[in-house]
Amino acid sequence: MNLVFLRRIITTSIGRKLIMAVTGLLLVGFVSFHLMSNLVLLNGQEAYNTYVEHLTGVPFLLFIEIGLLSLFLIHIIMGAYVRWEDFRNSPKNYEKRNWQGGRTIGSATMLYTAATILIFAAYHVFTFRFSDHSVGFYEMVTTAFRDPVYVTIYVMGALAMILHLSHGVQSIFQTLGINHLKYTPFIKLGGWIIALAMAAFAMLPLIFLFEFECCFMGMFH
Amino acid sequence: MSETMKNFSITINVWRQNSPSDTGRMISYPVTNVSPAMSFLEMLDVLNEELIKKGESPIVVESDCREGICGCCGLVIDGNTHGPDKNSTVCQLHMRRFKNGDIITVEPWRVKSFPIIKDLAVDRSAMEKIMQAGGYISVNTGACPDANAILVNRDDAEESMDAAACIGCGACVTACPNGAAMLFTAAKISQLALLPQGHTERWERAVNMVEAMDKEGFGNCTNEYECEAVCPKEINVSNIARMNREFLIANFLSKK
Repeated sequence: MNLVFLRRIITTSIGRKLIMAVTGLLLVGFVSFHLMSNLVLLNGQEAYNTYVEHLTGVPFLLFIEIGLLSLFLIHIIMGAYVRWEDFRNSPKNYEKRNWQGGRTIGSATMLYTAATILIFAAYHVFTFRFSDHSVGFYEMVTTAFRDPVYVTIYVMGALAMILHLSHGVQSIFQTLGINHLKYTPFIKLGGWIIALAMAAFAMLPLIFLFEFECCFMGMFH
Repeated sequence: MSETMKNFSITINVWRQNSPSDTGRMISYPVTNVSPAMSFLEMLDVLNEELIKKGESPIVVESDCREGICGCCGLVIDGNTHGPDKNSTVCQLHMRRFKNGDIITVEPWRVKSFPIIKDLAVDRSAMEKIMQAGGYISVNTGACPDANAILVNRDDAEESMDAAACIGCGACVTACPNGAAMLFTAAKISQLALLPQGHTERWERAVNMVEAMDKEGFGNCTNEYECEAVCPKEINVSNIARMNREFLIANFLSKK
């Protein structure tokens, strides 16, 4: 067995970036699915609880969750390693340094938005996944969404997601070698649309915090 | 003579470092009688003449063709790689871009992989090592072949030529937030990957050059495209995507 292709993926700069891109792409897929699931909240208590029961009733759920956790861990650990390596190699000690327009707010803050998302995700998992589910999923979620502290953390997490994906999505395509005169403008636009869609993560808790949910009830049946 | 053509005086704040092991420091020099028609390097020549007359050591700065095609010169001027003009090398920067009383900061490339030799001159042999790892074709070319014996699509030839415009100055590495040499390596891989003559060794080339690049301690690519913005030869980042693609195919699909 010749495993040199696996060694190269882990040891070369482009290989590591490919790991970041592939895990990033899968995570964007997960987050999009998660966002869609959140929207079921607007269909009311019964619809949401039925939906969550279906979702948690999937066979081998534990394995799926472990797979998802691995995706996060690989993305985080590889990202941290690459950033540490870049920090060592980056040009330093300039008296003056001007960026020439390549960098964006999103691209320059990837590390910080990543840290914010990590803190948010850890808090979110501990409060929702490893908590008492006996009150019912809808009640648990809406109670949290009426807590201003929780909602603030949620909004910060969503803002970090918007910035992170504003650079991340187009970056995935570039790393995977997909850059084309015809399609790259659409990829960049699509990246921003996906990033801005993350605002919906903040919209839902805000709707419940300010008790606007009644405006939506029955709208989507 | 119009007002704008008058000679003027400036102050340059320049990095002086005696040897690779020296810590180095910024030193200020007044330069008088600067002609707007001078290039930036000529202005440094004038200053160096004065320094030599005074018995001081001149500022070491690398330059060769002075027409923007050799890739020798490379300075960070007021925080801008290759100076304030887009798509231009330092030798193509003229003093008319500045005005009387300006204080100009002049620094060398500050990248870990390019150690400073003296003052503003850096050792860029790390880029040579990448080239030596596969930036060539090693097929026996024999006698001159018939014209059109190997068909090349015109668009591919143009794209290859665009990549081949890279002069290897190292601006992309300096401008990169991570000190990565991706744009340089990508251009050198692309110019051959686009042509049939380069196809024979394309997979070995992609892997070997990427591994050599990593070995020289260049950083990783975070797709921020600062490299493209400073490149004097307007090398496109789509070349980096091509390099990623070549590497991906070489690693997973080729038999080696």
